[in-house]
Amino acid sequence: MIITNSLTKIYGDKTALSIDHLEIPKGQCFGLVGNNGAGKTTFFSLLLDLIKASTGEIISNEIAVAKSEDWKNFTSAFIDDSFLIGYLTPEEYFYFVGSLRGIDKKEIDTFLEDYLDFFNDEILNQKKYLRDFSKGNQKKVGLIATFIGRPKVIILDEPFANLDPTTQIKLKQLIRKETEDQDVTLLISSHDLNHVTEVCNRIVLLEKGSVIMDKETTSKTLQELEDYFSA
Amino acid sequence: MSSSLFQLGFKKFLRAPQMEAKLSIKILMGLLFLYFGGSILFGGIVIYPALSKKFPQQDAISIINSILVLIFIFELIIRYFLQQLPVTEIKSLLLLPITKKRIIRNVLLRSLISIYNAIPYLFYLPISIALFKDDYLLSQAFAWWASLMLLSLSINFITILANKNNKILGSFVLGFISLYVAENNFEIEIIKLVGRFFDSIIEQPTMALIPLSIFFGFYGITFNFLKNNLNLEGSLVAKKEVANAERYDFLDIFGSHALFLKNDLRLIVRNIRPRNVVLASFLFLFYGLAFFPTIEHQPEFFIPFASIFITGGFLLTYGNYVPAWDSEYYPFLMCQNLSYKRYLDSKWSLMTFAVVVSTLLSIPYVYFGIDVYLMILSGAFFNVGLGTWITLYGGLLNKQSLQLNVKAKAFENTQAFSGKQFLMILPKMILPVLLYLIPAKIFNSTVGFITLASIGVLGIVFKNQILNQMVRLYVKEKHQTLKAFTQK
Repeated sequence: MIITNSLTKIYGDKTALSIDHLEIPKGQCFGLVGNNGAGKTTFFSLLLDLIKASTGEIISNEIAVAKSEDWKNFTSAFIDDSFLIGYLTPEEYFYFVGSLRGIDKKEIDTFLEDYLDFFNDEILNQKKYLRDFSKGNQKKVGLIATFIGRPKVIILDEPFANLDPTTQIKLKQLIRKETEDQDVTLLISSHDLNHVTEVCNRIVLLEKGSVIMDKETTSKTLQELEDYFSA
Repeated sequence: MSSSLFQLGFKKFLRAPQMEAKLSIKILMGLLFLYFGGSILFGGIVIYPALSKKFPQQDAISIINSILVLIFIFELIIRYFLQQLPVTEIKSLLLLPITKKRIIRNVLLRSLISIYNAIPYLFYLPISIALFKDDYLLSQAFAWWASLMLLSLSINFITILANKNNKILGSFVLGFISLYVAENNFEIEIIKLVGRFFDSIIEQPTMALIPLSIFFGFYGITFNFLKNNLNLEGSLVAKKEVANAERYDFLDIFGSHALFLKNDLRLIVRNIRPRNVVLASFLFLFYGLAFFPTIEHQPEFFIPFASIFITGGFLLTYGNYVPAWDSEYYPFLMCQNLSYKRYLDSKWSLMTFAVVVSTLLSIPYVYFGIDVYLMILSGAFFNVGLGTWITLYGGLLNKQSLQLNVKAKAFENTQAFSGKQFLMILPKMILPVLLYLIPAKIFNSTVGFITLASIGVLGIVFKNQILNQMVRLYVKEKHQTLKAFTQK
């Protein structure tokens, strides 16, 4: 689904990211781990053409991301709170994202019914603008909005951060359900090794911009990651 | 401690995204400053000798004194619209062991380091030197100059107050209007009175103590105003703003653009800053009331101004900040299933919508004659066909993110205007003037208006081509814009 070739991002004389070749097949749940500054957000930003690669290219579903805008048809993402429009209510935000992806209000209403449990009565019909919600509840809105319109590629940066424990567990279930569909490729970064090894079937470990480890998830993966990070 | 606060301000300036603005803009700004600075200096040097020569029987300085009020008002207006005021990140400073007094003193002192405070040196100083050469005592010349410098710095503080507080601004405007009315209708000659006051400073230099106390008075008022506002304005208390559920369904007639128009309308209605800016754009509608009754006495190049202004207020105020209004969530928009073409097209529609509404609202100008309304109409055509695109291009050059719903108003940059913005609207004004003036000079004014309108019509006919070109420019700048907008 996504292929990157000799991808680098260099700021001045500092290499933020340098990945020779990476292939993410269709239907995979791809987990990205690494300490701060390892290049996780840089990688995601490159995938979304939010920053320009110094060298190399990214091919998403046969489309060169930096050259064409067509990848936007099948990609959705939630990176940080700049992905929310603060002066809209959650409903208006969902409708807006929906109509950008060609889905009308009624369909959004039915779509949202599936997530009432996840929202825990804190999101819909609150008569509040997104900017007045707590960080955790803002995140819930942003995450669910990425599922609108069945995108083929979903990119989530730190989806578990800021969520309360109950919601974290519910989110794991949601992600698993989402990846049952073999059409969806999900990319997640996380500092929470437990969560990421639980939901992802492949883990890539970045450090200082380079891939240190790239493995299918097994029962031993969590231990291996903990050993690496505590060393 | 004070010096570290200054360093903070200096770092903020150096590290701001605008510092990386296009070199060409910087050079142009520099030239503009040189030009205006040079003109003011020249004026200061020649005004005294010129007046002495022309009115030998009168005292040149008392003629200058008699128009000082007008200069002050002009200075205040220029400063209000153009002067950038110092901004401090108070949130992080409030928790540090720095006294509030020190923070405010720093802000006020920094406001004095501004190019606009060079005016007393460029304009008044040469005059006062001429005074000294012209048989006045040093103490007289100095007292006169010092008084004007102190009053100019007082205007600096008045600018801060007027920018931060609409009530203060309102009371100043009201004050000026009542002075104007008093001057014209009740034989109270304020301008002359003030002129005589400055005459008396020259006669009796100790009178300069009055401007000195005015200066300290305004310093004190500004200080107290900022001190009372030096908190995060209740941002720690949960807000209870109830969302308005207006759905703006009437916009559905715009088809596929309705989605964006609705969003932009929500942006305007629900955020403090765009709301103020759009309200200001309504004032442009009334420009003609001041202009058309006196049309015979106006220079010719003002005529196209008027016709552009009346329908173009929205472009000049709100439009200047497209796409910066979306800066808070620009990365989101860039990842959505939304091509640049559709995005820009929707912004074009928004501005066109505003021009059309203004054109309808300006129908009462028919009162001044159908010719006048046709002038406005030709300006409207220009605004839709070309003004919109120039605005969009200007917005692309504007690499400063905007905070929509500013809470800590007293210390944030709440201005709707800056020198750079002014530079960007220059082509918007010069171009129509040329388009009108050249054919009007060669043929007559009707041909001028027809040219203006037909250029607009051409812009509408070739809309798609221009749009595609604009998309290319925006795509080229995409990453730069994203970088600047994510920097707060």
